[in-house]
Amino acid sequence: MLLPKFNFYEPKTQGEALSIMNEYGLKAKLIAGGTDLLANMKRKLLSPDALVGISEIEEFKNLEISDKTIKIGSCFTVSAIAESAVIEKKISALAVGARALGTPLIRNLATIGGNLGSARPAADIPPSLIAYNAKAVLKSVSGERTVLLDKFFKGPGFTEIQPNEILTEIIIDIPDGYYGAGYINLGIRKAQDCNIVNVASFVSLDEPNGVINSARIVMGCVGPTHLRANAAENILIGNKPSEKLFQEAAKIAESECKPIDDFRASAVYKKAMIRVLTKRTLDIAVKEASLK
Amino acid sequence: MKQIINLTINDKKYEVAVDANLTLLDLLRYQLGLTGAKKGCELGDCGACAVIMDGKPVNSCLVLAVQANGKNITTIEGVEDENGLHPLQKAFVEKGAIQCGFCTSGMILSGKTLLDKKPNPTETEIKSAISGNLCRCTGYQKIIEAVQSVSCEG
Ligand SMILES: Cc1cc2nc3c(=O)[nH]c(=O)nc-3n(C[C@H](O)[C@H](O)[C@H](O)COP(=O)(O)OP(=O)(O)OC[C@H]3O[C@@H](n4cnc5c(N)ncnc54)[C@H](O)[C@@H]3O)c2cc1C
Ligand code: FES
Ligand code: FES
Repeated sequence: MLLPKFNFYEPKTQGEALSIMNEYGLKAKLIAGGTDLLANMKRKLLSPDALVGISEIEEFKNLEISDKTIKIGSCFTVSAIAESAVIEKKISALAVGARALGTPLIRNLATIGGNLGSARPAADIPPSLIAYNAKAVLKSVSGERTVLLDKFFKGPGFTEIQPNEILTEIIIDIPDGYYGAGYINLGIRKAQDCNIVNVASFVSLDEPNGVINSARIVMGCVGPTHLRANAAENILIGNKPSEKLFQEAAKIAESECKPIDDFRASAVYKKAMIRVLTKRTLDIAVKEASLK
Repeated sequence: MKQIINLTINDKKYEVAVDANLTLLDLLRYQLGLTGAKKGCELGDCGACAVIMDGKPVNSCLVLAVQANGKNITTIEGVEDENGLHPLQKAFVEKGAIQCGFCTSGMILSGKTLLDKKPNPTETEIKSAISGNLCRCTGYQKIIEAVQSVSCEG
C-alpha cells in the first residue's frame, strides 16, 4: 500500500508551523500521530501536496496543571493521557476514554489533537471532553481564538479548524466543588474496534448527597457529530440524584438521539444502548461527585 | 526529493536518505534489510509491524521514516544479546507460542515492553498489552502462558 507523494516539513517551533500553514492552507495537512491521516492517505482518500509534522514541537506536548485549569497540548499522546495520575484524579472520564481508544500500539502514536481533528462521530476522546465543557485553542499567524468543543464539530471529518489554523491546546476548567463524570463505550470487542455507541455524563452537586446543579450528557455514534441530550440534562437540574430520576433522564436521552441502521447495529439497538449507557454513566458521575 | 535522516536502530547509528512517503516499516524491510517487522494490514490493525520507538511499541506502518528522524528504534533483531535469545523469545519457543510466526515479532516486542515495566503482570495486563497484536494461529493462550512463564521466573 503506497502513500501518495508529498513534501514533508518539520517546523521546530509553533511560529514556523503557523507560517507554513498560512502559506499552504488547504494544500497541506498537519500530521501529529499519523494514525488517522496515514491510514486515509493509504486508502487514497486524501493526497495533500505537503505534510507538516508537528509531533516534535515541544510547545504542543505540554501538560499544564494549576488549581483551576488543566491545559493539554494538542500533541500530548493518548497513552500519556491514559497513564497520567492527575488526569485520572481530576478528569477521570477522559482517562477512561483514552484507555478505550484503539490498541496500546496505536495509543502510543495517537494524539488528543489528532483525535479531535479527525472528527469521527464514534471517537473516544470528544464525549468526555465535551462533558467537562472543554475548549480548544486555535491559532493562526493572525491571532488565536478559543472554541467550546461543544461547538467545534461540524460533521464527520469537519471541524471549526480553518486551513491556516493549528489546534494548539485543550483547556479544561476544573469545576468547583462536588463533581464527577463517567464514560462508557460499547463495542463488539474490547480493543481495536469502532464503537457502536458511546456516552459521557457529567454532574455537579451543591453538596455531597445534595441536588444536581449542572449536568451534561454527550452521546456519540448517533448523529453526524456528538450530540447533547439537552432535555435529559434539564430534568436533572435542581433534583437529588435517584434511581428513578436517572432512569427517566436515560429514557429522554434515548428519544433525543438520532442513530442510523448500519452494519454495526440497528438504530433501535443503538437507541436502547444510549438509554443504558446514559443511566450507567450518570451513576458513575454521581458516585464520583459524592466522594469528592 | 530525498531527505537525510539519522536514527539509532538496535543500538547502531544509521544515516539514510529517504523519500518523504516512505514508512518506517518499508525503510526497515526494504532499505535496511531488517525483515523481522512484518507487513500485514499496513493500516494499524494487526500489529505485525510493531517496533519499539523511544521505549514504546508502535505500528511502524503508520510512522513515516522522516518522523523517525532522531529516534531510538528496537526491532525484533535487537532483542537478543551476546548471551543468545531473550528469555521471552525462549519462552515463545518452549511454550509453543509460535505457529506460522507472522505475529511473533510484534507479540514479543509488546510482551517485552510490558515485562520491562511490570515484571509480574496479571493475566489481564498481559492480554491488554498484546491487544494490538493479532494472531490467526495460536488462539493466544500459549502466548499469554509464554509471557507468564517469564514473569514467574522473575
Ligand atoms: C487501528 C486503529 C484503531 C483506532 N481506534 C480508535 C478508537 O478506538 N477510538 C478512536 O477515537 N479513534 C481510533 N482510531 C483513530 C485515531 O487513532 C485517533 O483518532 C487518533 O487520536 C488520531 O490522532 P493522530 O495524532 O494519530 O492524528 P493524525 O492522523 O496525525 O491527524 C488526524 C487529523 O487531524 C488533523 N490534526 C492533527 N493534529 C492537529 C492539530 N494540532 N491541529 C489541527 N489539526 C490537526 C490532521 O491534519 C488530520 O486531518 C484508530 C485508528 C487506527 C489506525
Ligand atoms: S502492518 Fe502495521 S499494523 Fe498491520
Ligand atoms: S503464529 Fe501465526 S499469526 Fe500468530
